[in-house]
Amino acid sequence: MSQAIQSKQYEKINAFLVFFIICGCQIGVGIHGFQRVIYKDAKQDAWLSVVLSFILAHIVVFVMFKTLEKFDNLDIYGIQREVFGKILGSFLNFVYVIYCTFAFFAVLKNYIEVVNTWVFPYVNPQFIAIAILLLIVYAVTAGFRVVIGISFFSFFFLLWIPPLLIYPLYFTNINYLLPIMEDIIGILKGAYSMSFTIVGFEILNIVYPYIKDKEKKSAEKYAHFGLLFTFFIYIIIMLITLMYFSGPQLERVIWATLTIFNLIEFPFVERIEIITICAWLLIILPNLCLYLWAAYRGVSSVYNLEIKRFTWIFISIIFIITFFIKTRTQINTMNNYFGKIAFIVVFIYPFILFIFASIKKRRKKGTGDTS
Amino acid sequence: MFNNKKDKKNEQSTNNQQELQEPTKHYTKSELKQTLDTRTKEEFVNLIKDKVSSPADFIVKNINDEITIIYIENLIEVQSLNDNIISTLQSISEPTPQLIKEKLSLAQVDISNKLDVIIYELIGGAALIHTKENADIVVAKISSYQSRSLSAPENESQVIGTQVGFNENLTTNISLIRRFIKSPNLCNENFEVGEDTVTSISLLYLKGTASEEQVNTIRQRIESLDVSGLIDSAILAELIDDSTKTVFPQMLLTERPDRFCDGLLSGKIGIMMNGSSMGIVTPIAFIEFFHSKEDQNLRWQIGTMLRLLRFSAIIASVFLTPIYVAALTYHYEIISHTLIVPLSESRAIVPFPPILEALFLELIIELLREAGSRLPTKVGQTVGIVGGIVIGTAAVDAGITSNILIIFVALSALASFTTPNYVMANIIRFLRFPIIILAGIWGFLGIMIAVCFLLIHLLRLSSLGAPYLSPLYPLRLKDLPNSLIRLPLSNISRQAVNTRKGDDESTNQENNEKVSE
Repeated sequence: MSQAIQSKQYEKINAFLVFFIICGCQIGVGIHGFQRVIYKDAKQDAWLSVVLSFILAHIVVFVMFKTLEKFDNLDIYGIQREVFGKILGSFLNFVYVIYCTFAFFAVLKNYIEVVNTWVFPYVNPQFIAIAILLLIVYAVTAGFRVVIGISFFSFFFLLWIPPLLIYPLYFTNINYLLPIMEDIIGILKGAYSMSFTIVGFEILNIVYPYIKDKEKKSAEKYAHFGLLFTFFIYIIIMLITLMYFSGPQLERVIWATLTIFNLIEFPFVERIEIITICAWLLIILPNLCLYLWAAYRGVSSVYNLEIKRFTWIFISIIFIITFFIKTRTQINTMNNYFGKIAFIVVFIYPFILFIFASIKKRRKKGTGDTS
Repeated sequence: MFNNKKDKKNEQSTNNQQELQEPTKHYTKSELKQTLDTRTKEEFVNLIKDKVSSPADFIVKNINDEITIIYIENLIEVQSLNDNIISTLQSISEPTPQLIKEKLSLAQVDISNKLDVIIYELIGGAALIHTKENADIVVAKISSYQSRSLSAPENESQVIGTQVGFNENLTTNISLIRRFIKSPNLCNENFEVGEDTVTSISLLYLKGTASEEQVNTIRQRIESLDVSGLIDSAILAELIDDSTKTVFPQMLLTERPDRFCDGLLSGKIGIMMNGSSMGIVTPIAFIEFFHSKEDQNLRWQIGTMLRLLRFSAIIASVFLTPIYVAALTYHYEIISHTLIVPLSESRAIVPFPPILEALFLELIIELLREAGSRLPTKVGQTVGIVGGIVIGTAAVDAGITSNILIIFVALSALASFTTPNYVMANIIRFLRFPIIILAGIWGFLGIMIAVCFLLIHLLRLSSLGAPYLSPLYPLRLKDLPNSLIRLPLSNISRQAVNTRKGDDESTNQENNEKVSE
């Protein structure tokens, strides 16, 4: 039973696009307010948690590629069925699809909540959800190339953010960062809390078979570059936040990044964060599209479903769920749960899969030799 | 939809001789497609007269008992008829078609016994020479061309560069192109399209440079056209587009032979049509609609500056008014305190919400433009003056709009005229309206939804199977020096990657599949 993806030649992508996919998928809604959560655990060493979690992410990407390289043209769904057999494999695939759906929903809901809080307090969140979901349908039904195209352009939409962050530097106090490395356990906890923000690179599991065969080797390099870029963005934002807010203040700010943007003032425009939040739509778009695509790959490995039909079913389900999660507390709880699940799926599970895959491959090789 | 033709002619000869034997268009096939028998003079004349609906300018001329000439008076060159045909025929004593063909001092003489061929040649401006008791008819092509003389292109004018534009005559246009490209590789394939118009279409490309696959696609699309009439190449371009659902054109219409030849040299395919002064260049990328030939004729620094200016103008043109509407309706807190005072002062007496105000003013500008382009040039100036007064001072004095909005609207109108391509300039102006409405509904979020939608839409489009947004996405580094910017010529690759053969990244196959559905 071969699950190899028969992706046609024109659907294959260049390896360097992996860089944009990683950036597009990692930078999403987490960046708006990840500082507070990590600060609670790691205090002024929160930036070390960011460093730590990114080191871990690099290791995970390395392991992911090792696993994927063992099975040439399989994505994670194919690998799971190969390694764990049909029943357990299908079950794990189902879990992965649920994870992708959860991720999709978390991104969407968090974004809508930010829009509702900062820009349009009186617009019904369901209407915003409909608009965004329809955009996603339009994008995803056009196929994989368009989805990757969106992550490509959305990256360039990100580039104007780092220069803006120079402005708050005037108001920072470097002493807030001291003392360094006070509480190792706290830093580790902070790294763990980072998982909601840092996830996204697990999309490699699904994208890998689509990379051009002869360029698959260099894809890993680009994945690491992508991680480095997001690391660069996160660490700058984290450092500026830590230096700008005093401790008790930061604990009370939900969206610290947006509050910092609030400071920036030009002769012709103020309250940059309103523009930023609206512009963020283009930045979460690749997030949503890629997770939907990932879920579709999982479902289509079991049922032969058209992408169009799947997309409509998927967004209908998402739309219905938006009715049940409404308040800030609920969203917070959801984010906490998602962080926990993401930590297991993204940071723990690849190692388990790698071990099982190695065993499976070795055993297969062994039986192949004897017979 | 383009696949309904069963047999695909791969080799379409450019030779007229072959074309005669294999006409591409068969009007009322069952009736006309027959071979002539031996007929007497009267029978033949009556037959032909009947088939061409006995026009008033139908002339039958008997040279002697054996030779008869039939032609349509308004279509032929009388000089040529007198000097080359009548005088020669009078000297022939034992006329056979073969002999007449040899004797006539004309370049285009054919012999045919197929009714459809001779009918179409007759109404195309040929004289038919019937000899006694012979089924074969001599077809002497002496059609007269009435065409406008070559003039400078009006819609795509430029300061530096060739000052010649296409005219409506296919022969003249092709000779213009051949003057630019003296290459034996320049292929010219002829098609005839339109049941009633039988319009000649020329498909031009450089063999070995243009992608064979794309040439086949376009050939197939032209051959499977089923229309009664074709008057302009703009209609042809729409008929053979990849997608008709979009507002964006996927083929470039140009009246400049230098632009056309530039396209051919970079591996694109050109289509010329008789009766139209616009050539079609395809495949074309979105960005190329904003290029002017003049960018390349100037120094590269200036060319780059002009292009960047143009692209920022386009962005400003599309988004200035929506930003005004969004900022004043929902996000007044983003307007800095220095700006809010003059803004609110000018808005104070305006009774409408910003969206109505903006739509109203944009509509006036559009009306002015439309009226100006439809009116004769002499009256056109009046429109400018009236418009200037109406939207310049009266609207503000009457308290209908604010001063600042007038600046924005005028600026965005001005910016939209920088687009060198008329078709695209219209679209840029049209795009503004839905975005203004979205901005009126959801402010900046509405604008962003429009931006995302546009981005996805442009990503979905393709021009003859080649991605519409290239060289940006898919990223083609080799084409980047000649895209948003223009680098020195030594950096610009001759062939656009869009048309590269065996380009496994292009969506050719995908598109072919779509076409065959």
